[in-house]
Amino acid sequence: MLRAARVLLLLSVVSLVASAQNETIIDDTGAPFTLSGPPRRIVSLAPNVTEILFALGLDKEIVGVTRYCDHPEAAKRKEKIGGLIDPNLEMIKSLSPDLVIAFRGNPLRTVERLKKLGLPVFVLNIGNDLGSLFPLLEKIGRVTHREKEAAALASRLKDRLDAVRDRLSAVTAWPRVFLALHGTGLWTCGRESYLNDLIASCKARNVAGGISRNWLHYSLEQLVQDDPEVIIVLARSIPEFEKARDRFLKDARLRGVAAVRTGRVRFLDENVASRFGPRLADALEETARNIHPERFDKKP
Amino acid sequence: MTVTAKRRLLLAVLTILLAAGFLASMLTGPVRTTATDLLDLLTGRSSAFSTIFIDLRLSRVLLAFLVGAALSLSGAILQGYFQNPMADPFVVGASSGASFGAVVCIYFGIDVTVLGFSSQSVFAFAAGFGLVSFVYVLSRRKDLYRVETLLLTGIAAGAMASAMTSFLLFMKSDSFEQAVFWLLGSFALADWRQVGAIAPYVVLCLGAAQWFAKDMNLLVMGDETAQSLGCPVVRVRKIFLAVSTLLAALSVSASGIIGFVGLVVPHWVRILIGPDHRYLFAFSSLAGGVFLIYCDLLARTLLFPTELPIGVITAAVGAPFFIYLLNKRK
Repeated sequence: MLRAARVLLLLSVVSLVASAQNETIIDDTGAPFTLSGPPRRIVSLAPNVTEILFALGLDKEIVGVTRYCDHPEAAKRKEKIGGLIDPNLEMIKSLSPDLVIAFRGNPLRTVERLKKLGLPVFVLNIGNDLGSLFPLLEKIGRVTHREKEAAALASRLKDRLDAVRDRLSAVTAWPRVFLALHGTGLWTCGRESYLNDLIASCKARNVAGGISRNWLHYSLEQLVQDDPEVIIVLARSIPEFEKARDRFLKDARLRGVAAVRTGRVRFLDENVASRFGPRLADALEETARNIHPERFDKKP
Repeated sequence: MTVTAKRRLLLAVLTILLAAGFLASMLTGPVRTTATDLLDLLTGRSSAFSTIFIDLRLSRVLLAFLVGAALSLSGAILQGYFQNPMADPFVVGASSGASFGAVVCIYFGIDVTVLGFSSQSVFAFAAGFGLVSFVYVLSRRKDLYRVETLLLTGIAAGAMASAMTSFLLFMKSDSFEQAVFWLLGSFALADWRQVGAIAPYVVLCLGAAQWFAKDMNLLVMGDETAQSLGCPVVRVRKIFLAVSTLLAALSVSASGIIGFVGLVVPHWVRILIGPDHRYLFAFSSLAGGVFLIYCDLLARTLLFPTELPIGVITAAVGAPFFIYLLNKRK
């Protein structure tokens, strides 16, 4: 299966290299997009797109990013075009980009308005599993004419995901996991979130995984009933995580919950896990290590 | 000062403010431009900033003016209609209905273009109009309807529409970012199509309001008195309600919900030039347009490069005034 995927990827790369320029491809909103020469001025409308562009070596070509684009470090020094939902049209236009990469989360109205200004906009959708990262990389590779780099990056990431899977191959008991999003209230992710797949890839069961939602507010009562063995807290920093952890550990209503009894409340860097990009491999490794530490202590 | 002199003075002040606000809006933005650049474009010497001046800034400032005029005229009509200074387009449910329509459209992913309008605009308009008609029918008894009933039914129906809007947003948290626009209002995506789509209706509505302004002056004296003075009360009331709803729904469909404009601007104008609707309507439209141009300018510049939702600005200016009014009436 994996080998087949790799061959397919290779084939698509080869066919791309062989094909002529000015080919039209379809973006994730179903709109046609004409490929011309390699873009020289790229504006990214989402932090994960920015990360992928940097990972493909497009440091010089990126001329504009959102104010949330903080990774890698060099992204912070790029011109800011506004936020995810409020990109500034005038700012984008003034950078005269020859490629604007939008992402689900940018309002469609904004995308349409940008197209009306005559800008070439390519729109990408977020996936609901880790595997969707690969077509995403491939598409960005195509529109930026970095197919080779994209294929290499994809294969590196695949190797890392496979390595985690190999380490966990002997695991038979899937622990129950509750993923808590930062902030007050019990926000978690349901089946439609790729984080649900991230937990499943760690051979664990997301207690909210039966709910077909992306994000949702969970009830304390249900959490007690579910009795998760591990609680993973998505937080922006260690102090923020510690605050959230102490809230769980000191909550008398949760004292019967396994994760609270054993103190297995773990940190997952929100910045890493919330970007649908290359660092998801980091997030997977960290989470797998937190859920199955015994598999990582010794050599496999 | 006589009323005529006051009116002349106000017209002069508003015209100057309009010109200044218009120019400031044209020259303000993330891209540094000078008056010379604008002059170069106008004289055809250089078209370097043509997209920025014409497609982005001019369409935006015109849309802000039109929406401000529409909301303010709608408010002026409703305040006369209800003889209640607290009335504005929100009260009869037009705004909440319109934003509900837009969110329904987002929720079900409906995306078609009807006669050049986006489906979100069409839904906003239809739902706004539908809700007000519903309120109107509910509060009517034998061709007569009590203003209090209409007012309260409007508030209740508006609350219902807002609740359903929140419900849909909650059910589809992914679309939240799309919906923010409808709830807080913004001119960030203004374009010429929107300007062209609402301009004729705003002009038409202003014409209709002016035409019946004398009847509104009679209505203020009470329906029975107005009737005895020869005003066809029921028909005039229907027309005014339709015109004000159309104006409110148009503005919501163009720019989302922008509060307080319809409430405070007609008040200011009434304080300055008196309650004669023959002048109140026209002056409210002009003042509302000018007011929103300045609000949009603030929204764009206060936290530059981030843009504030314009509703934040209009509420910051409008709410204290509303409280002042309430206090004064005590």
